[in-house]
Amino acid sequence: MMSANRWMATGNYFTTYRQEQRIFATHVDRLIFALFLVVLFSWPYFIELSTKYMLVIDNILIAVIAVYGLNLITGFAGQISVGHAAFMGVGAYTVASVAGVIGDRHVLITHAWPLMILLSGFMGAAMGLIVGLPALRLRHLYLLMATLSFQLIFQWVIGSMEFFNQGQFMYVGRVHWFSGQVSRSQHYMFWYYALLVTVVVCGLGFRNILRTRYGRSLVAVRDNDRAADAMGMHPGFTKVFAFGLAGFFAGIAGALQAYLNRGAGFETFTLHESIQYLAMTIVGGLGQLTGCIFGPAAIRLLDLQVESLARWAGEILPSSLDLATGLRPLSFGLVIVLFLIFEPRGIANWWRIMRSYVKLWPFRY
Amino acid sequence: MPNLIVSDVTLTFGGLHALSSVNLEIQAGLITSVIGPNGAGKTSLLNCISGFYHPTAGEIHYKDLRLTRLAPHHVSQLGISRAFQNLELFGGLSVLDNLMLARHKDLSYNLLHAVLFFGKASRIEAENRENVEKVIDFMELEPYRKQTVGNLSYGVQKRVEVARALTLEPEVILLDEPMAGMNVEEKEDMVRFIFDIKKEWEITVVIVEHDLGVVMDISDQIYVLDFGEVIGSGNADQIASNPRVVEAYIGEE
Repeated sequence: MMSANRWMATGNYFTTYRQEQRIFATHVDRLIFALFLVVLFSWPYFIELSTKYMLVIDNILIAVIAVYGLNLITGFAGQISVGHAAFMGVGAYTVASVAGVIGDRHVLITHAWPLMILLSGFMGAAMGLIVGLPALRLRHLYLLMATLSFQLIFQWVIGSMEFFNQGQFMYVGRVHWFSGQVSRSQHYMFWYYALLVTVVVCGLGFRNILRTRYGRSLVAVRDNDRAADAMGMHPGFTKVFAFGLAGFFAGIAGALQAYLNRGAGFETFTLHESIQYLAMTIVGGLGQLTGCIFGPAAIRLLDLQVESLARWAGEILPSSLDLATGLRPLSFGLVIVLFLIFEPRGIANWWRIMRSYVKLWPFRY
Repeated sequence: MPNLIVSDVTLTFGGLHALSSVNLEIQAGLITSVIGPNGAGKTSLLNCISGFYHPTAGEIHYKDLRLTRLAPHHVSQLGISRAFQNLELFGGLSVLDNLMLARHKDLSYNLLHAVLFFGKASRIEAENRENVEKVIDFMELEPYRKQTVGNLSYGVQKRVEVARALTLEPEVILLDEPMAGMNVEEKEDMVRFIFDIKKEWEITVVIVEHDLGVVMDISDQIYVLDFGEVIGSGNADQIASNPRVVEAYIGEE
């Protein structure tokens, strides 16, 4: 019975099809993942980070959730969306406008915040389904134009409507936890945990979708929508569904962003941000679940490095050169181009190579 | 008993007549071949049956159902599946996933089940996996099960294409040039598969093919198309002695 010991397993000894559905083939894989989660949840007890870095980490986690959605539509279903920040905006403004109508300290906002986040997800999904409708007819660049126009319409609506405070900041109150109101000093730490749980739960949901007919149908319309049609699915509706799902993740990410920032402002959801999320998706790895984590981390950390580099350069160079403003978009663009040329499969591919190396060590191929 | 009836189908693209007044009767349980020179309209005919094109005039009936205006995903649900001529596989997926996609309509769980996975979705996936494995076993695709389709050789991809059409559990299978670009051994294998599809799986087979030798050997019924018109029909002997067919293929004497 060599199959019995799942601790020492070196290959797969599956005997049923249900065993083969497993995400982790061996117990060791599963243990490593569990340990990784324990580290993620426990490190704040040992290391104290400044608010600035805590905010960066929180923002990475929000971007991870957003990129789940974007990778789903762009990486898996193959439809480029440049309106993702606007979908996030839908989520954020759902929370913010409810707060605006019933008051930002209303119990719905402060106590029932998980419900509000879920509601925002559904609002994002509804908007995704509507914006995705052109996918019934359009493809490729033309569909991209539809998402772009949604982004612009969103910005215009938020920027000019009185109800949305014409794009000015709309406040959302501090939330409560079982221990009472989350104070200013605990704010970022609290949301770190809330975000981490959301990232893990959404990630599991995403992974599960991928191993079912819904996930497969997305890849089918990406690879060949004629054949997808012959397989008995409606390719158009599959794409619309993908937009809905992407909108759901974006809505959740947006709502979390609103809670983290303690309100919604228009500049967090501009076209620039949309393109940044697209960059995260590409750098992380299109069509790779792990890419959803690597991409946002890489881009946000790069941003941080470039910022300090620009500050340092700004001190020694004449101020008329204004390197600081130019350096960020420059490095950002450079990274995307370099990835597209040298590693189109993204950081997730490095991860894959590293894993197979470790698995085979000390043997070579 | 005729199973699939194509009556007076005309298909025009602008001024070009791809098909003009084509009449076919495809008998249940037999192998029917459609042959003809390049550009004769063979693939257009299959596209009309499987719903990718809608005929300009004429009707297509399957049993009592009218297929004429149905979309491909409806036609495939009625039990008419299709293997494409120019491999239209899902290149980024494994052989297994390609075939599981053919089970799409049989995977009867909803999105919530899918997100939770454990329980219903897992059970139904495993059940359908058994159907897929049956086809993998039949088409001898075991070594390639987990490989990405895009990396496989042409001959194997052709087999995956047929396997996928078979996984749909059709009553009628339309094979568009299943032997194009294959060497003799691969052709012999494919012929064996086609015979078994007819005998073991009791599926009506419709083949569009260029290789006259193969067609003459295996078909129960042959239709010859030229310039969008049926110029001859019958069994192999009748076709071989039909002067219009000989003319279309060899030219005037």
